[in-house]
Amino acid sequence: MYAIVIHGGAGAMPRATLSAEREQTYRAGLATSLDGGYAVLERGGSSLDAVAAAVRILEDDPVFNAGRGAALTRDGAAELDAAIMDGRQLRAGAVASVRHVKNPIDLARRVMEKSRHVLLVGAGAEEFALEEKFVLVPNHYFRTAERIEQLESEQRGQRVSDLVPPATHGTVGAVALDTHGHLAAATSTGGMTNKRPGRVGDSPIIGAGTYAKNGVCAVSATGHGEYFIRTVAAYHVCAAVEYRGLTLQQAVHEMLHQILRGLGGDGGLIAVDRDGRIVMDFSSEGMFRGARDSDGRREIAIY
Amino acid sequence: MSRLQLSAILGLLSLAASAGVIAAAHAEPRPIALVIHGGAGVIEPSRMTPAKEASYRAGLEAALAAGYAVLERGGSSLDAVTAAVRTMEDDPQFNAGRGAVLNHDGDAQLDAAIMDGNGPHAGAVAAVRHIKNPIELARLVMEKSPHVLLVAEGAEDFALEHGVVLVPRSYFRIEARERELEEARAMPAPSAGLRVSAQESMGTVGAVALDRAGNLAAATSTGGLTNKLPGRVGDSPLIGAGTYADNASCAVSGTGQGEYFIRQVVAYDVCALVQYRHMTPAQAMHEVIHEKLARSGGTGGAIAIDPAGNIAMDFNTVGMFRAARDSRGRREVAMYGDAPQAK
Repeated sequence: MYAIVIHGGAGAMPRATLSAEREQTYRAGLATSLDGGYAVLERGGSSLDAVAAAVRILEDDPVFNAGRGAALTRDGAAELDAAIMDGRQLRAGAVASVRHVKNPIDLARRVMEKSRHVLLVGAGAEEFALEEKFVLVPNHYFRTAERIEQLESEQRGQRVSDLVPPATHGTVGAVALDTHGHLAAATSTGGMTNKRPGRVGDSPIIGAGTYAKNGVCAVSATGHGEYFIRTVAAYHVCAAVEYRGLTLQQAVHEMLHQILRGLGGDGGLIAVDRDGRIVMDFSSEGMFRGARDSDGRREIAIY
Repeated sequence: MSRLQLSAILGLLSLAASAGVIAAAHAEPRPIALVIHGGAGVIEPSRMTPAKEASYRAGLEAALAAGYAVLERGGSSLDAVTAAVRTMEDDPQFNAGRGAVLNHDGDAQLDAAIMDGNGPHAGAVAAVRHIKNPIELARLVMEKSPHVLLVAEGAEDFALEHGVVLVPRSYFRIEARERELEEARAMPAPSAGLRVSAQESMGTVGAVALDRAGNLAAATSTGGLTNKLPGRVGDSPLIGAGTYADNASCAVSGTGQGEYFIRQVVAYDVCALVQYRHMTPAQAMHEVIHEKLARSGGTGGAIAIDPAGNIAMDFNTVGMFRAARDSRGRREVAMYGDAPQAK
């Protein structure tokens, strides 16, 4: 049994605002990522390689909020966060607030594999990237006309104080189970549109937005990051499965619809457990998502 | 008797009466408690001089007193952990604030987090280099921003916007830390990622508290590892890893090899065992520190407290700077491994 699940962000996405053409673009992007990750599993590759491949494809696709096409900070720059976790030995790597790394998920993986650290941030993370022979890209590589427009409308609009909650979510992620029974999770994001420079959400925080533990589950989150940090959302799901015997579906449901909703936060979670059971759930209007497994299931959905 | 005197007496009588009602409802006043740590590591008598030991004790005493005084006058656990951690940040012998260890570039690069178990709310900062008391900035993030974690220059920009006065990097540097950095740099560096000294400092400071209102809070502050890669962030500022508090379970602050604490989500894991496996903080800490963490090769320690005021201080290192005080009369300061453990 092997399986992969991906997401491309959750949030308010009224059907009316998404044209048929636009919807096709999203679906095509999700399909490419899903099948790219699945192909790794199909040829006997690791779940770690599969989630890295799926997330890298979404980072390169400008319609998703990660890598190229990421949401912009209030200074107009893309500032990226990513994390990856290998459920085998609970190894993990993450980067936050990087501005010149084309595929943050690759750098997160390098942190996991070539440093003794888990999280590197800012200029220090980019210094590490250079030492590891990554070619940096200028920040404008990430900026698309659409994100610039989105930032400008946000800045013209409702932004009155620091305490106004963010409107836009969007993050990409993948979780997978491979033929060897290993679980892995990966998440990558540009964060919130118009965010304060230096703001780090849940995605690169192990336990909050990303977690994987063999024998239990792998989780990737998207949504209002601060709430996912406070509730240690991704690890909470695994702990609920491991300590309380909840099914993966029950654990995800409790986190999204009881705990996070109780605090006023929304978003979505994707997860897979050791038996390849898949969960994709969200408390926002929609979530870009896809799932495929060796039993023949293959689906892509938005609403 | 004047009308004024009469009303004063009546006022006193009604005060006494209401106090009586409260006393009847709670035969025993609700407990308050504070636990602090000043880092775990190779802390043993053979490496101490009497003067050094006395100095550490005095530092722990001062932090414990500062935090406990807040609780005693009815203040919040949040204020208590802030006061205790601030005191240790200002004390150069601990690895936080002034006297923090230096990174590869020779700078103190500081991380801190605070969490209010009533909410829960949290605030954290990482990789800041000009903030005298990172714990206060973490608290500002919690109280004055919609965010939880701000890092590096963005965090310092936020500080400036809120009137925090920045200090030069030289404020943090002390001679002992510069010597440690020199020693660490002299060691062979096999690769960029691995250039951290073997004899790494695992000092970090932290506090957990229970206040009269029954609220829990946790706070942690650190300079991280000597000779660390600039930009490396450990467990301290990560909610769930090095710091966690929830009134429904417990409050925890950790110290040790941060990367292991991150991967195992140590602080939250202790609380999850308390809440879902119905363990005492001492049992949960034992499971996490001596079983799970030790199995993975991670070393360190943590402090914890639950809503009933049960305290735990545990570590799988040789020693841990620690202290605890509560309204049941407990008061202790310890640093070596042979000291009696909390039950």
